[in-house]
Amino acid sequence: MLSGLASLRSRHTFHDLSAVLFRMEASCLELALEGERLCKVGDYSGGVSFFEAAIQVGTEDLQVLSAIYSQLGNAYFHLHDYTKALEFHHHDLTLTRTMGDLLGEAKASGNLGNTLKALGRFDEAVVFCQRHLDISRDAGDKVGQARALYNFGNVYHAKGKSTSRNDSEPGCFPEEVTTALKKAAEYYEANLCIVKELGDRAALGRTCGNLGNTQYLLGNFRSAVASHQQRLLIAKEFGDRAAERRAYCNLGNAYIFLGEFEKAAEHYKRALQLARQLKDRAVEAQACYSLGNTYTLLQDYERAIDYHLKHLIIAQDLNDRIGEGRACWSLGNAHTALGNHDQAMHFAERHLEISKETGDRSGELTARL
Amino acid sequence: GIPPSQTLRSDHLEMEPETMETKSLTEYFNKMHMDAVMGKR
Repeated sequence: MLSGLASLRSRHTFHDLSAVLFRMEASCLELALEGERLCKVGDYSGGVSFFEAAIQVGTEDLQVLSAIYSQLGNAYFHLHDYTKALEFHHHDLTLTRTMGDLLGEAKASGNLGNTLKALGRFDEAVVFCQRHLDISRDAGDKVGQARALYNFGNVYHAKGKSTSRNDSEPGCFPEEVTTALKKAAEYYEANLCIVKELGDRAALGRTCGNLGNTQYLLGNFRSAVASHQQRLLIAKEFGDRAAERRAYCNLGNAYIFLGEFEKAAEHYKRALQLARQLKDRAVEAQACYSLGNTYTLLQDYERAIDYHLKHLIIAQDLNDRIGEGRACWSLGNAHTALGNHDQAMHFAERHLEISKETGDRSGELTARL
Repeated sequence: GIPPSQTLRSDHLEMEPETMETKSLTEYFNKMHMDAVMGKR
C-alpha cells in the first residue's frame, strides 16, 4: 500500500515536472520565434533580447538551441558586434559537432567564416570557408558549395584590400595584394559556374558585383564595367534599388579610371537619385563627393563646387567631421582653380582646423601647403 | 591644382552583402507540427 502511494506520488511529481518542462519548451520556442520575427523585419536589437530570454528559459531540443545560437550570431553580425557574433556562432559550431549534425556544422562554419572576415582574421576565416565547402561537396549540395565559394571570394577580396596601402592605385598594388585579389576572382568565377547552372539570378547578381570590384582593384577596368553592367541588369530585374545604386556607383568608379569622365558623371548622378529615393544620407553624401571630384576632372569647377557644397552640408548634418574636412579641402582647390582666393583661403583654413581636430596629419600637412 | 591621385582616391567601392546561413525556427516548428499530424494519422 505504502509503495503504491509512493509510486503514485512519484508519478504525480514526474507528471508535474514534465508539464513544467513542456511549458518551458513552449515558452522558449515562443520567445525564439518572436526573436526570429523581429530579425526578419530588421529589428536586430529586439531580436537579440528575445533570443537571450529564450536561452535563459532553456530548451532540451538541441536543434532549437542551435537555431537560436545561429540567429543570435547573425543578429549581432548585422549589429556589427562581431565579437558577440563570433561567440554565438562558435557555440553553434560546438553544438552541431556534438550532435553530429553535418548540415548544421556547414552552416555554422559559413557564418564563422563571414564573422572572422569581418574581424580581419582572414587565415582563420579561410579554414571555416573550406569546412563549409567540404561538407557541401560531400553532401552534393550545390547551393551550399556556391555560397561557400562566394564567402571565400569575399575573404580574399577583404584580405587584398586590407593589405593594400591607401595611397596605391588600382592595378598598382604589391604582389601580396594582387595574389589575394586574383584568388578572390578565381573563387567568384567558380561560384558563377554553379549559380548559372542553378539559374540563381539573385546570387549571380551579388557575385557579379563583387567580381567587378575585384577586377577594378586588379586594374581590369573594362572587365569591371562588364561585371557591373550585368549586376545592374539583374538588380533592375528584381527591382532592387539598393543594388542598382551600388552598381551605378561602381560603374562610375570604373569609368573614372578609363578616363571617361562624362560617363562616370552620368552613373554617379543615377546613384545620387537612387540614394535620395532610398533616403540614405550617407550614400547621398558619397555620390555628391564623387560627382564633385568628377567635375573637377572635367575642369567644370562651378559644378564641382555645387556638389562639394552639397556634400559639405550633409557631412555637417551627419556630424561627419572627416567628410566635412574632405569637402573643405576639395572646395578650397576648386576655388583656387577659379581664382577665388578669399574663398579658397576660407576653406583651406576650415580644412586645417578639422584636420587638427581629427588628428589627420597628412590632411594637416596638405592644408598648411 | 589637385594631384589626380588625390581626386581619383575619392572612389568608394560598394560591396554586395555577405550571405549569412540561416536556421529557421519557423520552418522547424512547422515541420514538427506536420510530423505530429502525420504521426496521428
